[in-house]
Amino acid sequence: MINPSAPTAVAAQDKIIKDFEAANPDITVKKTNRAVDAHKDALRTSIGTSAAPDIYDYWAGPGLGGELVKNGASADLTSYYTQYKWDSRFTDAALGPAKQYGGYNGVPWKLNGEAMFYNKALFQKAGITKLPTTIDELNDAAAKLKAAGITPIQFGGTVNWHVMRLLDTFLEGYCGSATFDKLVTNQANWGQEECVSKSFTNLQKWSKDYFNSGFIGINNDESSSLFYTGKAAMALEGDWFNANIKDNAKAEDFGVFPLPTGTGRMYGFEQAMYITKDSKKQDAAAKFLDFMMSTAVQKETVGTFSTQSVNKEVKAAATDELSKSWDGIFKNAKGLYMNNDQNLSQSQTTEYWRIQNLVATGGLDPANAGAEFQKFLDSSK
Amino acid sequence: MSKLTATRLETPPGPVTRHPSKKPLLKRIAGGGFIAALPFLAPALAAYVVFVIGPMVTAVRLSLFEWSGFNADPQVFVGFKNYVRLFTADPVFWTAMQNTIVWVLLSLVIPTSLGLVMALALNRPIFGRNLFRSVFYIPGVLAPIAIANMWRWMYNPNYGVFSELAKAWHIGDGSGVTFLSDPKVAIYAIFAAFVWQIAGLNMVLFLAGLQSVSKELVESARLDGANSWKVFRHVTFPALRPTVVVVLVLTIVHSIKVFDLVVGMTGGGPAQSSQVLALWSYSQSFLQHDFGMGNAVATVLLAITLVLVIPYLIWSTKGNED
Repeated sequence: MINPSAPTAVAAQDKIIKDFEAANPDITVKKTNRAVDAHKDALRTSIGTSAAPDIYDYWAGPGLGGELVKNGASADLTSYYTQYKWDSRFTDAALGPAKQYGGYNGVPWKLNGEAMFYNKALFQKAGITKLPTTIDELNDAAAKLKAAGITPIQFGGTVNWHVMRLLDTFLEGYCGSATFDKLVTNQANWGQEECVSKSFTNLQKWSKDYFNSGFIGINNDESSSLFYTGKAAMALEGDWFNANIKDNAKAEDFGVFPLPTGTGRMYGFEQAMYITKDSKKQDAAAKFLDFMMSTAVQKETVGTFSTQSVNKEVKAAATDELSKSWDGIFKNAKGLYMNNDQNLSQSQTTEYWRIQNLVATGGLDPANAGAEFQKFLDSSK
Repeated sequence: MSKLTATRLETPPGPVTRHPSKKPLLKRIAGGGFIAALPFLAPALAAYVVFVIGPMVTAVRLSLFEWSGFNADPQVFVGFKNYVRLFTADPVFWTAMQNTIVWVLLSLVIPTSLGLVMALALNRPIFGRNLFRSVFYIPGVLAPIAIANMWRWMYNPNYGVFSELAKAWHIGDGSGVTFLSDPKVAIYAIFAAFVWQIAGLNMVLFLAGLQSVSKELVESARLDGANSWKVFRHVTFPALRPTVVVVLVLTIVHSIKVFDLVVGMTGGGPAQSSQVLALWSYSQSFLQHDFGMGNAVATVLLAITLVLVIPYLIWSTKGNED
């Protein structure tokens, strides 16, 4: 499994295993935790060998989990979905990634949403009375903040994926969900869609006028401090960011609203538990996953691994305004659009980031950005 | 007296002329004790073949294949396709190549000159000489990733030392200090950290070399009226030549494989503008999981290194067989 950042989450994983083994004395579960990159490397080298695990924890997007599915790592779990009625157990948003490759690959485990956190006082100071619901309204809000002498949004650019969230959002907003999906699955031409140029143009405008200065040379933890201390008005983060805010500032000073793409889809990504195709213990593995995602276990652990459960019977205990807002964001989501580092292959993602950063730092005309990316996609086929 | 001194200056010390053996190779092997030494050499040779030659051959072989790194994924032979893609379609390769070349060239000039100047200064009997030697040498023993972190903090536009200096000197509010954020500047900003790291090491090598400079020759030159510059040019520097060669070769090797500093300070960014060949090879293989392309970059890097280092190896081993 991928290392959870909190010790309580590790303890919760261990408890699930212990409880399962107590209920099923004929099955032993051996867990190995790894850091993100070590986990990716370990799976890459062990899949297809006798060292492969029976169950592996992975991100569900095509560029990550999809690659493993493509390489024959994951078993089709259709029969187990029928046997355990998993189809009716999980939320639609959680089920989508499991069904995207045909059949059923993996069992939903964690679904994280991303949205726009904002500083209430700074929004008020800038005269923003209504939260944005479209990209154009978001642009207006940023302009008002800037006019009021406030840094509209904070980003750290060293690891690329934070700024990517904004670009993905512009693409979803300007292109619409159908075109967005076609673009990331290579069914549309990045160089020929006007919305792509519009998205990159908007990204350049934002990076030039609305980001904290020097964003690309600092990491996101450093830039987040601008948000906690009221020096930047917005932060595009995931539901895990609630805890960061509570640790670093007063939670009641902040709010969160869905990314205003107008498509109704929530931005986010999923982690799933996959059963290895070559596993000789698939029945036992499925039994364990059924236990792990059961209503009883999920009720016990909701809030430990993510703010929401993938199990539709389990409601998060919203104790503060931020958590309540997240409940609404998840509840109202009409599907999911995933981060593009999950949608694209790793080499495509590297090039996507290069172009994104070139545009953001003024090194590439946004009008040529889509064609530049398409050139890479064509050459790497 | 003056005649004797002049003769010495006209024939500065140089490498001893060596006469390569004229014996046939097989006779040299049989007669030179090679066979007797073989049992002692064999374990090291075997380890060398397994851990150095083997991976090198594998890297070259993989550069001719397309492979994602999955055991289940077959390695597909594609000939020179990866090289064609690398040279014609890879958007980052030429940037990485250019940065690597610039890095090597700058390294040959800046940290070597700085090391030499520091060595010359600290070779004199000045107050606190040993302290200065230690202080200048310490960066060379620090882990490069720690140096990268340190310099990243120093360059931080919000609270780094350069930003604070800019504020103190009333050059804006300090936020203009964006060395690592500017694609045109980032590679040079990282190079500054490299100079800080490596100059002390060069200084130590030059200091060692300076101990072999004949004091009598220096003294004779001074008595003959040569000023400091002339003594350096005609006596000290010629005697330092073997050290200079060692420093230059080590600098080239250090420069070509530079990796940690770039990873730690920019990760090759922004927009791959500070990418270098060693890091690009790693990224292609282990981050993008394109082992064919990654090994093609590694093979290019290997070829460049061999072209630069083999002449030195030939020069340094010439005559040693006798």
